[in-house]
Amino acid sequence: MSTGQIKKLVIIKIKISHLISAICLLLGLLFVAGKTWAVEPYEIVTNSGVSEKTLSKNALRAIFGMRLHTWSDGSPIHVFVLPDEAPLHITFSKEKLNVFPYQLRAAWDRLVFSGTGQAPETVASPEEMLAKVGSTPGAIGYLTRSRMDGSVNVLHVK
Amino acid sequence: MFYTSSNHIRRCLMREVIRLVVVSAVLSSYVAYAQKLPIPQNLPNNLQIHGFASQGWLKSTDNNNVFGKSSSDSGSFDFRELGLNASMRPKPNLQFSAQMISRTAGRGSPGNIRLDYGFIDYAFLSEENSKIGIRLGRMKNPLGFYNDTRDVPFTRPSILLPQSIYFDRVRKVAIAADGVHLYGEYRFDHGVLSFQGGPVRPLVRGAEAEVALLGRGGAGHLAPDISYIGRISYELDEGRLRFAFSGTDLNIDYDPASGDRLGAGSIRFTPLIFSAQYNAERWSFTSEYALRHFEYKNFGVAALNQDFFGESYYLQGVYRITPEWEALARYDVLYTDSDDRSGKKWAAATGGAPHRRFAKDITVGLRWNVTPEFMLRAEYHRVNGTGWLSTLDNPNSGDLSPHWNLFSILGSYRF
Repeated sequence: MSTGQIKKLVIIKIKISHLISAICLLLGLLFVAGKTWAVEPYEIVTNSGVSEKTLSKNALRAIFGMRLHTWSDGSPIHVFVLPDEAPLHITFSKEKLNVFPYQLRAAWDRLVFSGTGQAPETVASPEEMLAKVGSTPGAIGYLTRSRMDGSVNVLHVK
Repeated sequence: MFYTSSNHIRRCLMREVIRLVVVSAVLSSYVAYAQKLPIPQNLPNNLQIHGFASQGWLKSTDNNNVFGKSSSDSGSFDFRELGLNASMRPKPNLQFSAQMISRTAGRGSPGNIRLDYGFIDYAFLSEENSKIGIRLGRMKNPLGFYNDTRDVPFTRPSILLPQSIYFDRVRKVAIAADGVHLYGEYRFDHGVLSFQGGPVRPLVRGAEAEVALLGRGGAGHLAPDISYIGRISYELDEGRLRFAFSGTDLNIDYDPASGDRLGAGSIRFTPLIFSAQYNAERWSFTSEYALRHFEYKNFGVAALNQDFFGESYYLQGVYRITPEWEALARYDVLYTDSDDRSGKKWAAATGGAPHRRFAKDITVGLRWNVTPEFMLRAEYHRVNGTGWLSTLDNPNSGDLSPHWNLFSILGSYRF
C-alpha cells in the first residue's frame, strides 16, 4: 500500500469514528426530554390608541407572520416579541398562532434576507414589552396579566 | 508509520478546527462590537439593518475539490459569506430593500462585493385576508424553498444546500435577476396561498456562468435575454405543511467573438421544481424534485447543440434535539441527463468520465446554536459521482474519483 492510500484509509477511519461519536451524542440527547413551561395567564395587548378590540385568528397569524402591516383603519402595525426561547413567547406561539417558535424565526428570516419583509422588534423583558407597546402607536405584543397596566388594551381573538 | 500518519492528520484537523473557531470568534466579536455602537433605537421610517458573517472549512478525499483546495492536507478555508442588508418601510404598503454580499467559495466566487438584491416593493391592495403588490429592481429568484436566502447559513438546513437542485457552480444565473415581480397572497381558514413572479433579465456575465453552461466554451460572451420566473406556494396551518411549485423560463444568448469556433447560439433552461415540507415540533421533513430542461441551439458545434432533461431530488429529515441542537440526514440525487443516468452514453460520445453526469450524496450533519446569534455546524457527505463538482475548482476531470467523502465545519454569526 502506498502512503497515499494509507492516508486515505486513515482519513476514512477518522471520519467513521467522528460519525459514530456524533450518532452517540445524538442518541444521548434524544433522551433529554423537552421542557414545558407553566406560564401565568396572559393576554394579547395593543397600544391604547388601537381601536380594534377583537381580531380573527388568521389576521393575528398574518400580523405576527409580518405579512399584515395595517390595522383596519389603515394605520401601521408595530409588532413586538420576546426572544425565541422566552417561555411566554413559546406558549403564545403555540396556543395563539399554532406555530412553533422555530417556524416563526424561519419565516422572519426568509422575509429579512430576501428583502421581501421585515422582522418584528424583539424586546428583552416583559417590562420592556409593556413600555414599548404602551408608548408605540399601533403596537401589538403579549403580556402576563400581572404585568399589564392601563397603557395597553387587551385584544381578543375571535 | 501508520500511527505517525494518523497523528499527523489528527494534528492537522485539530489545528484547522482551532483556526476556524478563532476566525469565527474574531468575526463575531467584531460584529458584536459593531452592534454596541450607539445606533439609535427608533430609526426613522422603520429602518432595519441586518447582516451575517460565516466562515467554513472543508476537507475532501481523493482529488475532488469543493470550494478551493479542499482535498489538500490542510483542507480549504476558501468559503466565506458576508452580507449586510437594509430595509425601510416609510409607509405600511411601501418598502425599499437592498443587500450587499461578499461570497468567497473557491474559484467561482472570488469574494467581490456585489448587490445581491435591491428593489422597491409597493402593495397596491392590502386587506385583512389578501394582498397584491409589485416589486421593481433586482429580486432574488423565487425557486424552491431555499433559493431566496441561499447565502445565509442560518436559513439553510446544512452547510451545503442539496447540490442536485441548488447547484453552487451555476449559482449566479439562478440566484437573482433584474425585472418586475407581481406578488400576492390570499389567507383563508386553513392556509395561505401565495404567488410571486414576472419577467426578468438573468445575470449571466462572468466566467462562472460561461464555464458552467458552455464548458471550456468559446471566446465570446453570454448575454441575457428576456426570461420568466415564478413560484406558487400553499401553506397549510401556518407552515405545518408547505407546498411550492416554482419554475423559470431562462433565455441566454451567446455573442461569439471574431473567429470564434462557436456560432451565435442560444440556451433555453426551463427547470420546474416541486417542493414539500412537513414541520412538527421536533421533526421537519423536506423533499424537492426538479425536472430541468436544457436546450442548446445554433452553436454550430454538434457536441454543444443538445436538448435534454436533467432530474434531481432529495429527501431530508431534521430533528431538533433541544432548541440548541439539531441533527440532519439527507439523500440527494442528481442526474444531468435523465435518459443517461449512468453517464455512459455521454462518456462514449465525449470521452469524458461517466461519473461527471450524476451524483448521489448521503449527508449527515449537526447544528449547534451556541447563542441565538452564533451557530456552529458540522457535516459529512458520502458521495458517489462528481456531477455537481465545479469545473473551475477541478480543471482536470481525469483526476476526479467517482467515490469520495467531504467533511465540513462552519461558524456563522448574524444580527
